Amino acid sequence: MTNKILAIALLASLAVVGCSSSDTPAEHSAADRGEGHTSSSAGLPAGHIAAGEQLAGTKGKATGQSCVDCHGAEGNAPIDGTYPKLAGQYYDYIAHALQAYRDGDREHALMSSQAKDLTDQQIADLAAYFGSRQSNLRDLHNAH
Amino acid sequence: MMRPLMIAACFLLTTAASVASAQETQAPAAAPAAATATTAPAAVKGDAAKGHQLTYTCQGCHGIAGYKNAYPNYHVPKIGGQSAEYLVNALTEYKKGARKHPTMQAQSQSFSDQDIADIAAFLSSLK
Repeated sequence: MTNKILAIALLASLAVVGCSSSDTPAEHSAADRGEGHTSSSAGLPAGHIAAGEQLAGTKGKATGQSCVDCHGAEGNAPIDGTYPKLAGQYYDYIAHALQAYRDGDREHALMSSQAKDLTDQQIADLAAYFGSRQSNLRDLHNAH
Repeated sequence: MMRPLMIAACFLLTTAASVASAQETQAPAAAPAAATATTAPAAVKGDAAKGHQLTYTCQGCHGIAGYKNAYPNYHVPKIGGQSAEYLVNALTEYKKGARKHPTMQAQSQSFSDQDIADIAAFLSSLK
């Protein structure tokens, strides 16, 4: 009985430690992925803003471009009107979009190849970084 | 408990609004749409005021702070302040099935190219 309580306490403290060192939470359990739902953002590891910032400025092998080469500084100044702003977008939506490009569920001449080799950790880090930047993106609350 | 209710409300709003908007925009849009269709179908000019009317429905999901898509589980994206070109492309891709999301596909299929341009003009103008 006491062993059980100890184990629970230990798990809980581990969870707290795990969360406090990350910039975005890990997404639920990995069970979704186990069932083959690979297009879900569930199962992503926790994201780190600093790692995402570094990756955002790194040239991709397939395109020779980095994220910010096209989406602008902090993902907030796209060089072309057809490219979305990423700054301030919900991190888990950014992760979902990158997973969709990587897994072939969404297609774009540049993004499909850009995302092809991203790991779950890299997607989580990029999402944490761009989601943490400031922009004028907003939901439609009080828009009408 | 709340989510099925919200979704049901969303669909009801959607149906009502798309019926209303179809009646509203079909007649006046017919003439200019026919004129531009033969020349440059992509270059539809958006009217933000009309887009304002058309986007009441969108609030059901995009207007609730922190609202999450049911499955896969992620926040419904912020679309206010995004560029008109990106929004036109996104809605057109959903309409054609190139981008997949059941609700967004159903929504976009109820919109004409002119409606999509109007919606994009309004959403991109939000500050």
